[in-house]
Amino acid sequence: MPLLEIQDLVTAFHTPAGRVTAVDGISLSIERGMTLGLVGESGCGKSVTAMSVLGLVAAPGRVERGRILLEIDGDPVNLATLPESRLRRMRGGRVGMIFQEPMTSLNPVFTIGNQVAEAVRLHRRASWREARARALELLRLVRIADPERRLDEYPHQLSGGMRQRIMIAIALACEPELLIADEPTTALDVTIQAQILELLADLRRRLGMAILLITHDLGVVAETCDEVAVMYAGKIVERAPAVELFANPLHPYTIGLLAARPEHRAGGKGPLAAIPGMVPQPRDFPAGCRFHPRCGHARKPWCMAEQPQLRELSPGHFVACHFAGELDAARPTEPADR
Amino acid sequence: MTDAGPDLVAVSDLETHFPIRQGLFRTVVGQVRAVDGISFRIGRGRTLGLVGESGCGKTTAGRGILRLVEPTGGRVHFDGQDILGASAATLRSLRRRMQIVFQDPYGSLNPRLTVRAILEEGLVIHRLGDSPERLRRMTVALERTGMPTAALARYPHEFSGGQRQRIAIARALVLEPDFLVLDEPISALDVSIQAQVVNLLVELRQELGLTYLFISHDLSIVEYISDHVAVMYLGRIVEYAAAVSLYATPLHPYTHALFSAIPSVEPARRRGRIVLPGDVPSPASPPAGCRFHPRCPLAEAVCRTLDPPPVELDGHRVHCHVAARHLAAAGAAEASRQVAAALAATLPADS
Repeated sequence: MPLLEIQDLVTAFHTPAGRVTAVDGISLSIERGMTLGLVGESGCGKSVTAMSVLGLVAAPGRVERGRILLEIDGDPVNLATLPESRLRRMRGGRVGMIFQEPMTSLNPVFTIGNQVAEAVRLHRRASWREARARALELLRLVRIADPERRLDEYPHQLSGGMRQRIMIAIALACEPELLIADEPTTALDVTIQAQILELLADLRRRLGMAILLITHDLGVVAETCDEVAVMYAGKIVERAPAVELFANPLHPYTIGLLAARPEHRAGGKGPLAAIPGMVPQPRDFPAGCRFHPRCGHARKPWCMAEQPQLRELSPGHFVACHFAGELDAARPTEPADR
Repeated sequence: MTDAGPDLVAVSDLETHFPIRQGLFRTVVGQVRAVDGISFRIGRGRTLGLVGESGCGKTTAGRGILRLVEPTGGRVHFDGQDILGASAATLRSLRRRMQIVFQDPYGSLNPRLTVRAILEEGLVIHRLGDSPERLRRMTVALERTGMPTAALARYPHEFSGGQRQRIAIARALVLEPDFLVLDEPISALDVSIQAQVVNLLVELRQELGLTYLFISHDLSIVEYISDHVAVMYLGRIVEYAAAVSLYATPLHPYTHALFSAIPSVEPARRRGRIVLPGDVPSPASPPAGCRFHPRCPLAEAVCRTLDPPPVELDGHRVHCHVAARHLAAAGAAEASRQVAAALAATLPADS
């Protein structure tokens, strides 16, 4: 039984302008100790998926359908119907979380030690003295240099990379089984990103926790994840083990993203193989296959009319495309007219 | 660059220091050395990529060249004319030929103005053309960037990020400039849109013979678009070379670390990761000697005391005592291997 299993999740926002479906029937699962990468561009629903798992979707948004099953002591518990009081115990307890902005996630008027110790005390019976000792341990765990001094400092005295380490320390306070990391390195410089990714990989090994890593960066996914799910316009369009996905991408969107990278054309010869068109926003997802207006392989009438379902083309490799497997995957999608 | 004729942009010893003021009388108690003596040239029709991490001074350098931020020292020549000493009138006429595109297409376009008013602003300031001529220029600029002319009557919020960046590029093109400072022009865009905008920039460079200063932290885009690349660290250029040489034979340990830190989907491109310890120090109190030495796995005694002078071989310039020694002894290719091997030797055995 997987640690987390999402079945047919639909999360929608009821705005004055009408109902907007941000996540439209996705299914996912994460085994204990594994890292799943959820990749996609802005508006594809990857962050809303994470918020749905955490029970943090705010009005006018609502989880409308589906089950979010977290295995607790051998039994699946549906987070989608869990009362807020139990959700609150779960968040920061069994499920830790870190977000993109380490600047705004910390309270500027409390010391680091205070905030880390608070996270410990929220979930455990511990005196402030014990919690502070545990905080010191956590700062060592995330490899903060000079941790005794840092405990008494305020967030503004720390660099971005160090703040993200503190956020990770807070997330780890109660030894979560699942860590949800939403673009944890996007705001950081590339050398600091390397430090944080290495730290996360090391912590995963040592603590055996599973990670749901949400990112737009295929490189980050390739280097850190066991499995990958690619999201586009509220749907999962492709899901596979990471090695398989990058060696043998099958959905035209995944193929297009990989082909558009400049590394693909090192030496500066010829234009980049850009995916034409715009990233659709939840308000106006196209009918049929949601990628069809940008797809070089779209064929009438199938792609315009009928939404493709995920099919398992090879063991563990799922694709939602009417023609996946029949396309020449080695050939990138040719850029159509801009 | 020698084959490109005279340089369009020549920067020497450019410095931009910001005073730190404190106390009742706002006494200057220190200087933030955002840009601390950098030199480079850009040939006409060429692109220089300026890379580095946040706070390294790359943006301040770009703005200093246009005098959007006043440099505190050094010289900038544009097409042979002195920019820093130019009078207000000369500067205005030169600025028509030098434009800038900013990172954030959400912040750089005034939401209260129509696209027409946004594009026309520069033409009005520079008193260019009458009304029909202005409309013609705006139409041409929009078409060049792949936007419909109907966009003129609309507002920025009606467009996506990629389209807004096209509008920002059109605004720069309306004045028919020779030189564009592109400050992280694609960083705020979605991955699938970035390649579109890069292709557009390359196309425009070819069609209009534009010269670019391309500022970015994205090394793979810089490699693709640039003829030459300068790597900045803490207000200084630490390495400068033709893009091909820099990427094939990086010399500076910092450049090696930057390359190895980029996560890649191609296993062949993943090198042994050099994870640099610590954070970038504050430019208000840069370390003595080589500024990179506190984070450098190869630092020697001399690095802690002596600022490394530039050493150049075949147009490949590096500011590093260790790399310079190898460069002088064995040439760029061998020096690059030596530095890489020395860095690999400092890695823990399991990574």
